[in-house]
Amino acid sequence: MVSALHIITAALAAAFLMGLLKEQQRGLAFGITLVTLAFMSWISAGWLWTFASTDTAAVEIFTAGTQPPFAINLRIGLAEAALTLLINLTGLFSALALKDTLLALGRRAMAVWLVAVMALSGIVLTRDLFNLFVFFEMTVIATAGLVLLSEHSKNDGQALAAGFKYLVVSQFISAFLLIGIIFAYHTTGTLNIDGMAAAAPLLSGSAAQAFSLAFFLIFIAIVAELKPFPANGWALDIYESAHPAFSALFSAATGAAALFAVDKLLLIGGDAWLPMATGIGIITFIAANLLALPQTNDRRLLGYSSIAQTGLILAVLGQRDILGDHTLYIAGGLLLSHAVAKAGLFWLSGLIAERGLEAWAALRGHPVLIFAFVSFICMLTGLPPFPGFYAKWELIHLLAGEGRIALLGLILLGALIEAGYLFRWFGYIMKREAPAEVVDNAAHKVVAVIAALAAAWALSLVWGELSVLQFERGNLLLALPLLFALTFLALDPLPAWLKNTLAIAGLLAWFYLTYTEYDPLRMIFAVIFLIGGSLTLLASYHAHGQRSGFYPSAMLMFAGLAMLIRATDTFDFFVAWELLTVGSYFLILRGKHSEPHALSYILFSLGGAFLILAGFALATQGAPHFDLSALADLVQPLAPWVFLLLAIGFMTKTAAIGLHIWLPGAHAEAETDVSPMVSGILLKAGLYGLIVLLLTMGRQDFYGVELINVMLWIGAITALIGNLLAIFQEDAKRLLAYSSIGQMGYAMFGLALMNHLGWLMALMFVINHYVYKSMLFLSIGGVAKRTGTREMYRMGGLITLMPLSFIATLIGIIAVSGVPPLSGFGGRWIFYNAILTAEARLPMVIIFLAGPIAFLYLFRLIYTIFLGQLKDEFRRVKEAPFWIVLPQMIYVAILLVVAVVPGLVLRHVDSYLNAFFPNGGLVWEGSTITSQFGYWNPVAIMIIVGVIFMTLFAWLLFVNRRAQKVKQFNIVFSAERPFRPETTHFAWNFFAPYRKALGFLTLPLATMFWSTVTDLLHTAGDLARRFYTGNGQTYAFHLLAFVMIVYLFGMGVRP
Amino acid sequence: MSFDWMKIPYALLTVFIVFNYGLLLGALIQKIGARAGRRHGIPIWQNYIDLIKNYGQRTSITHGVMFYLGPVFRLTGGIGLLLFVPTIYGSYMFSNLSFAGDLILALYFVFFGTLGMALGAGESGHPHAAIGITRGLSQVSVAELPFALAVFAVALQYQTLSVTDIVAAQQGGMLNWTLFTNPLAVAAAMLAFLGSMMRPPFDVVIAPQEIPIGPPTEYHSAYLALMQTNRAIFPVAKMVIYMNLFFGGATSWPEFAVKVFLLYLFSAFVGVCFPRFRVEQSIRWFLIWAVPLGVLAILWV
Repeated sequence: MVSALHIITAALAAAFLMGLLKEQQRGLAFGITLVTLAFMSWISAGWLWTFASTDTAAVEIFTAGTQPPFAINLRIGLAEAALTLLINLTGLFSALALKDTLLALGRRAMAVWLVAVMALSGIVLTRDLFNLFVFFEMTVIATAGLVLLSEHSKNDGQALAAGFKYLVVSQFISAFLLIGIIFAYHTTGTLNIDGMAAAAPLLSGSAAQAFSLAFFLIFIAIVAELKPFPANGWALDIYESAHPAFSALFSAATGAAALFAVDKLLLIGGDAWLPMATGIGIITFIAANLLALPQTNDRRLLGYSSIAQTGLILAVLGQRDILGDHTLYIAGGLLLSHAVAKAGLFWLSGLIAERGLEAWAALRGHPVLIFAFVSFICMLTGLPPFPGFYAKWELIHLLAGEGRIALLGLILLGALIEAGYLFRWFGYIMKREAPAEVVDNAAHKVVAVIAALAAAWALSLVWGELSVLQFERGNLLLALPLLFALTFLALDPLPAWLKNTLAIAGLLAWFYLTYTEYDPLRMIFAVIFLIGGSLTLLASYHAHGQRSGFYPSAMLMFAGLAMLIRATDTFDFFVAWELLTVGSYFLILRGKHSEPHALSYILFSLGGAFLILAGFALATQGAPHFDLSALADLVQPLAPWVFLLLAIGFMTKTAAIGLHIWLPGAHAEAETDVSPMVSGILLKAGLYGLIVLLLTMGRQDFYGVELINVMLWIGAITALIGNLLAIFQEDAKRLLAYSSIGQMGYAMFGLALMNHLGWLMALMFVINHYVYKSMLFLSIGGVAKRTGTREMYRMGGLITLMPLSFIATLIGIIAVSGVPPLSGFGGRWIFYNAILTAEARLPMVIIFLAGPIAFLYLFRLIYTIFLGQLKDEFRRVKEAPFWIVLPQMIYVAILLVVAVVPGLVLRHVDSYLNAFFPNGGLVWEGSTITSQFGYWNPVAIMIIVGVIFMTLFAWLLFVNRRAQKVKQFNIVFSAERPFRPETTHFAWNFFAPYRKALGFLTLPLATMFWSTVTDLLHTAGDLARRFYTGNGQTYAFHLLAFVMIVYLFGMGVRP
Repeated sequence: MSFDWMKIPYALLTVFIVFNYGLLLGALIQKIGARAGRRHGIPIWQNYIDLIKNYGQRTSITHGVMFYLGPVFRLTGGIGLLLFVPTIYGSYMFSNLSFAGDLILALYFVFFGTLGMALGAGESGHPHAAIGITRGLSQVSVAELPFALAVFAVALQYQTLSVTDIVAAQQGGMLNWTLFTNPLAVAAAMLAFLGSMMRPPFDVVIAPQEIPIGPPTEYHSAYLALMQTNRAIFPVAKMVIYMNLFFGGATSWPEFAVKVFLLYLFSAFVGVCFPRFRVEQSIRWFLIWAVPLGVLAILWV
């Protein structure tokens, strides 16, 4: 094994060699630089492999041939090897990305580059305090030099100013560090870090006091290198003005090295200094994320994000007292995620000509780069299967286990804000107008991005394996559904119809493989997710061409859904939850105008997911595994909190009132075949979560409030407000979306009744809602496709032109409204029987009001689109495409069958529910269904209604046989001829009197609340931004103020 | 499933009786209303004449399939509603087809005809049809609320949803009627009843003065005849439900006739006394006056 010392010597030798080269031999010099960096990386990689594959102890390297403290020693262990590899590889690929600049600047710049990378490695390797100082000084000088050199390409003075400010601040830092080291050496008599760590606890009296002050100075100096809030203005100016390839190094490598230095220091300081590290870290994390919110410059935003991530890792290091052996796994996961993603993003930024976030829309023509961007932001956000996800999961669980709830909450809050600006940015890329400047896809620059991308996925694999080894959890990346979804990335160039066939086959095959595992309850969801999903996918055959990006997103969502119902422990459940959230986000974002709606969807969903995570973490209480069924064993006072967190989390997905504002836009703006997926199928995931929750935890008492009753009220109000809002929509798909909110309210209400029939009703809603909402979204989507509008008042009279869509809509609205003889009636009948045994009666009033309101919007839907006056511009409209109509017809058939024999499905569920709610089941005798209170015979109803209807119809046909069809305007219109269809079609503001009477209930209170929250966050970010004046003196003052504050807080309470 | 085929002629007999009674009753109530307004009113057999005339009309047009089916839906709704509820308590002959479902079936089947009619009228393309429907739906969505609450209260009270059982529980003297055992529910339901009878103050839905044309005119000849047939059957069917739920049901046709007449008279009585509400006014009225009664009723049970 090559000694790790050669990481340093190789760089130094190469840097000296540069001096011997001629100024013109720039190509050669660049070659030497690359080879050296590759060699350094190879050494690190070799050590990493050794440590990872065998159980080798860390290796000490002695430089002067003697033992410390008389000589300097370096150490290489697993962490050092990984970090130096990260640093060297970042150095290598950044050098590649920096090729043009380095070649223009010549050998001196390359020598500085090598020294910078070497010094960073040195910071990681050294075990000597003074040596640490030396390497820091080298880093500072090299950094300043490289920043100043960046001036070369832009020449606007910005980099010059930034470099100068950096030097000013660095002098402060160096001074602190050096003074601290002098006094620490004076008191402990050693400069060796391990020696000092051993000596420090033995000190007493004034020596101890002096040492603690000295340590404070060292600590604060190294922490200042991490760019903590607010002493970080200088760093931001560097990020903004330096070459992005340098910023990549500055963010990924410098950050990692400085963090590792802090980690070593904490060894000396001991546990007493951990809270301070945590405090500085978490404040930086929150503040930097807040500050990133209003940023419009990509590199400055990435700078803030870097600072935030560094803050988070510092906070994690501050928790090492409870993280114990897992510190490396957690902090490492976060650090590597941050480093790889941030380096990748900075390199990507080098490909973009302009600095506005919208300018990144130029990426749109480059699927691989888009994929890279997505991978990076998912990595930063901590989504599965990236290492950050595993790290976050363990971190949150350990924090919850130790009762550090405030920190847990702050971390999740910061992560949510971060997700906010990252996904907003992604929305810009996908939806904003692409700038004139194209992406600079020079091979050497793209290679760096691809390398980061490869590293990202490789790390996911590694962390997955680690999770298998350490926690006996599955490697997510090897989960079959996820792999299947990811395969579609590779298949993306194939034509859409082929991928669609594969997707359908995959869903059905998975169902076939797993169907024996499901109990009747899960079977309902499995059928909806998998069989229902493939049925909905039939509509996707209408798309032509390649449909780039659709299938990976859709299959990611279906993978999440498939994994959700098979999950038995909290980890698997949460992974599935995150996957389906992300997949559906990408799916929703595909809609033409869905940018803001997709953003609000992902934010609400991630917020909900974080609540679920916190709930699971609280429930687990430090246990390595936690079965979902163990939720039932939780007791007071923990149980109601867990229940509350999980319930709110699931209710964001079912769009309960107050948390519903994402749904209408997201469902309405989605593509024609996506709307049924996200409405008919995806919403059920939230209900599934609630079902799991209620089955295990049931009734919970929260300070005297029965939580299930609260849910009953929420369900009822959601049903009312959802329905009420639906009747005032002019946009047909928005109407359906609001109707979904109402329907989910019904289902929640049913579940919250906590009796046999309530659950049966909820499950019937699950099935019915899937069928009719998918069908309605498809038929309305088909109409919108043909007419080019979703505004109902623009349509009208389409019945003769689109008869099949009309039939689907007609059957759909009859089913939704619950009018016999179709299947919706079964739901209503069960509902009435269910409420008769319910304890709470007042919420019924609201739900009774909600019921008939459904008629209003349903009638509006069918009348304003298909009946009334046909407009001139639509006279040549054709029926919707075959593939959109086909699933609708299948749904019609399903609805009719379920209407006649509801027992087909419900019987099994009914008997299964007996296990949980033994009383109040139904009796199935022949075709009659009997409850404790009433009875119902679907076959008889169908026959009676059919016979009466057909008899009367025949009678009418007989007496009216000479009826002749008349033209559109042949109506009795106050003895006038109507002027135009537009003025005759009564459709706009359809329920005006209703608005007058009950419009006050539709005030957008929830929207106002949430927009105030986001406004406040933005304002806070904007206010904090005023700190950063760009003035070097101000920045120096910030640093001093920071030191003083930390001193007062930290030392003030110390002896 | 064994089915007693004799049910069919019995059911037809019920329909026949109710149809004739409804035609006469409708004219009678109209006449009473006219007399209250110091007018002479129509002859008692006027409805028969209208019906025959309409079936006999030779011209007839159609605006499309839904337009054609609208009245069929309408009348199916009326007849179905009548047949899903037993008319005469204790009589096998007039228990109709109530084996198909309970009270909930009847309540939801009300909407079958309404919806079909609304769709049919909608296809005529006449804006007044749509205006009338929006008004009707707006009003009924709130007017139904106190009724639904009352039904809920009654079902809770008797612990059953079977109409026959509810009537059975009220036998044995007037004081056993829901009217006396649960007066709040009955009060709420009777206010809701006003909202569904198409009489002032809640008749802006059909707006006999402002929207004289529209559906009734677009629907002419046999279509109109079907609707008139329904006009005779449907209100009676609805009042049968009220009678069964709140007023002890009927054990014989004379009792039936009296109770239905009095119920009908109640709406006519209110109608001639009060002027008409606009839709938003009636919505507020129901929410303020009728719904609280219903809420009290379900809390009180």
